Amino acid sequence: MGSRVLQLSLPVALALFAGSCGAPEAGEDTLAKIRAAGVLKWGADIQGGAPYIYEDPDAPNGRKGFEVALADALAAELGVKAEFVQNDWSSLVPSLERETFDIAMNGLEVTPARSGRVLFTRPYYVFASRLMARRDNTEITADLDALKGKRVGTLTNSFTADQLLALGIEPIYYEGVEEPYQDLVTGRLDAVFHDDIIAGRYGEPKPELRVVGDFEDGFYSIATRREDVALEEAVDEALERVIQSGKMESILRAEGIWNERQLGLRAWSDEDQRRLLGDTHVAPSMRMHHITAFLQAAGITLAISVLAMMLAIPLGLGLAVMRLYGGWLAAKLAAAYVELYRGTPVLLQLYVIYYGLAPIVKLDAFTAAVIGLGMNYAAYEAEVYRAGIQAVPRGQMEAALSLGMSTPLALRRVVLPQGFRLALPAVTNDFIALLKDSSLVSVITVVELTKRMTITAVDVRSWLIPGALCAGLYFIMSYPLSLYARRLEVRLARA
Amino acid sequence: MISVQGLEKKYGARTVLSGVSVEFNRGQVVCLIGPSGGGKSTLLRCLNGLESFDGGTITVGGEKLVPGGTQANARALTAIRQRVGMVFQTWNLFPHRSAVGNIIEAPMHVKRVPLAQATERAHALLKKVGLGHRADAYPGEMSGGEQQRVAIARALAMDPEALLLDEPTSALDPERVGEVLDVLRALAEGGLTMMIVTHEMRFAKEVGDRVLVLHGGNVIEDGVPADVLERPQHERTRAFLGLSRAPREAPTI
Repeated sequence: MGSRVLQLSLPVALALFAGSCGAPEAGEDTLAKIRAAGVLKWGADIQGGAPYIYEDPDAPNGRKGFEVALADALAAELGVKAEFVQNDWSSLVPSLERETFDIAMNGLEVTPARSGRVLFTRPYYVFASRLMARRDNTEITADLDALKGKRVGTLTNSFTADQLLALGIEPIYYEGVEEPYQDLVTGRLDAVFHDDIIAGRYGEPKPELRVVGDFEDGFYSIATRREDVALEEAVDEALERVIQSGKMESILRAEGIWNERQLGLRAWSDEDQRRLLGDTHVAPSMRMHHITAFLQAAGITLAISVLAMMLAIPLGLGLAVMRLYGGWLAAKLAAAYVELYRGTPVLLQLYVIYYGLAPIVKLDAFTAAVIGLGMNYAAYEAEVYRAGIQAVPRGQMEAALSLGMSTPLALRRVVLPQGFRLALPAVTNDFIALLKDSSLVSVITVVELTKRMTITAVDVRSWLIPGALCAGLYFIMSYPLSLYARRLEVRLARA
Repeated sequence: MISVQGLEKKYGARTVLSGVSVEFNRGQVVCLIGPSGGGKSTLLRCLNGLESFDGGTITVGGEKLVPGGTQANARALTAIRQRVGMVFQTWNLFPHRSAVGNIIEAPMHVKRVPLAQATERAHALLKKVGLGHRADAYPGEMSGGEQQRVAIARALAMDPEALLLDEPTSALDPERVGEVLDVLRALAEGGLTMMIVTHEMRFAKEVGDRVLVLHGGNVIEDGVPADVLERPQHERTRAFLGLSRAPREAPTI
């Protein structure tokens, strides 16, 4: 079972961004190099899971899957050995460009965005776009247009996502293949639109779900770098031989994914290939609707950050007070909270809140994002306030007590306001950090600024403008706060 | 109104107060003097529960404090602190509140006095300590002498039956000492009960009704200022006041 639990959208985006900036040298001689070394390096993500590539349960460090078998067959045709290179799925193309491996083969769907960037061989697999819904939800029918206004989940930047967008449906974006079906079962989604292989593996086994119908066919192809024309041709020919010889059929049968559709690939013509790649020469440019989407995403980033901080501040203050004045048990509990939340990745915490708790409380993604980030930041705020409160001179508490105040009243009226003031520069800095950490919530399907950049960049086939716009918007949101924090520090230093 | 019986206080192995018994009467200005480490400040801080103690009892107007932590005394402490005000050596004003803000804080939140009434009273008190014009100043903008006068006004705002002052002029510049002593003199003339830990001997002689000398955790002199300060009975008092011809400790270099 594979899931892309720990895919970080920000690092991925940066990797992609870097990939698009540096144009690495890659010559005609990649094929020659492969032959000389006797090794064909192919990139894929083992987290993608069965039936593509997965760990062999019977052999430690062994790998199985129809793509593993295909890689071996292709390498044999080329007279070399296949060598697997692990790479995060969503950054396969940039990693290919920076020569981490020679070919990328891991359920890469031929989409206009991708075929504008790499060379694709003939397809090795035809899949159907499969729509699934809950059994008890009869509203979902084979009419795709009727999906407008419904919550439809799919994988970011996938063939199915493109189809939904073309219909004017804004999908709910997932980074893993298992999670959309989970959310469909729990009712967070109305439907899931995905490749039939994935639907068959992760959706159809769930008794609550039904297949609504199959739609447009899509294709998996092998990608090479744009300049590796010779390699692309060699791999394409090798693939043709593997398909024609019937070897492909036995590979697919071994994983139980052979079907009639695959017969079409036996008579694949140059004309078919041209039609598949389509008009890929003109990349769409940034348009007004992209800009609007960016501003909306920036609004979501800001809203999540502000609301999370509004949760983190009182919670952190409470934890700090528990730790300093709460007595033995309360202090231990507060310390445990702080250590637990600081000692585990926020990504995992978000995942637990959104997916882990789904059987108990079905939070919507936005709420889960606010609560997840808020509870995480509360741990950091608690430590900041603790330091601030401890920096308030003891005489302040004594003066308040000597005026007849109770300890809680003295804390509330005298010590905490001063401690908070001392902590304010650090709190402001934390908020700036939170603004950027909020990009992590894309793992639970919230489309915030960084995720929007990733989507748009693939759409317009360039990272430069979306990346600059994204960076600019983050900067506009955080720089005034930086100035404010600095002014506060100066004022505190004077006081 | 305040009765101390056999008060004992230790810091670890060090005994700070070893069985102090003393009565403070209403309307008296009592000055506590003596060498550093003699226990003056500790005695004062025990009276309103800022320090716990290890033996004896303290009774303030019917409320009794017993040895041990502040937990056992919680109820008595609240009552005592509302009746006995405290002024600190380093004044301890709330830096995030103006002069008026400092003064109205406790009346409003402890006694639930309405804002308008508390503010009016605060202005009157500020006028009384000669700071009618500084009502909106923040502690950071005031001199030490001004801050200490605000601190006195803040304590008075709770209408205490007695005021404890812990070296109220020790942290001030010499030229600022007079303005604070003037305020205290006026309060004494008004009949306020005060216990003042001080090193100002002239002030003690002039304003005090009674002087206590603490040394080594004991009260070694107790009498009217004229007697104690001019004709001390105890050798240590004479040494402290510089009256003795007995050799002081020779400087060791």
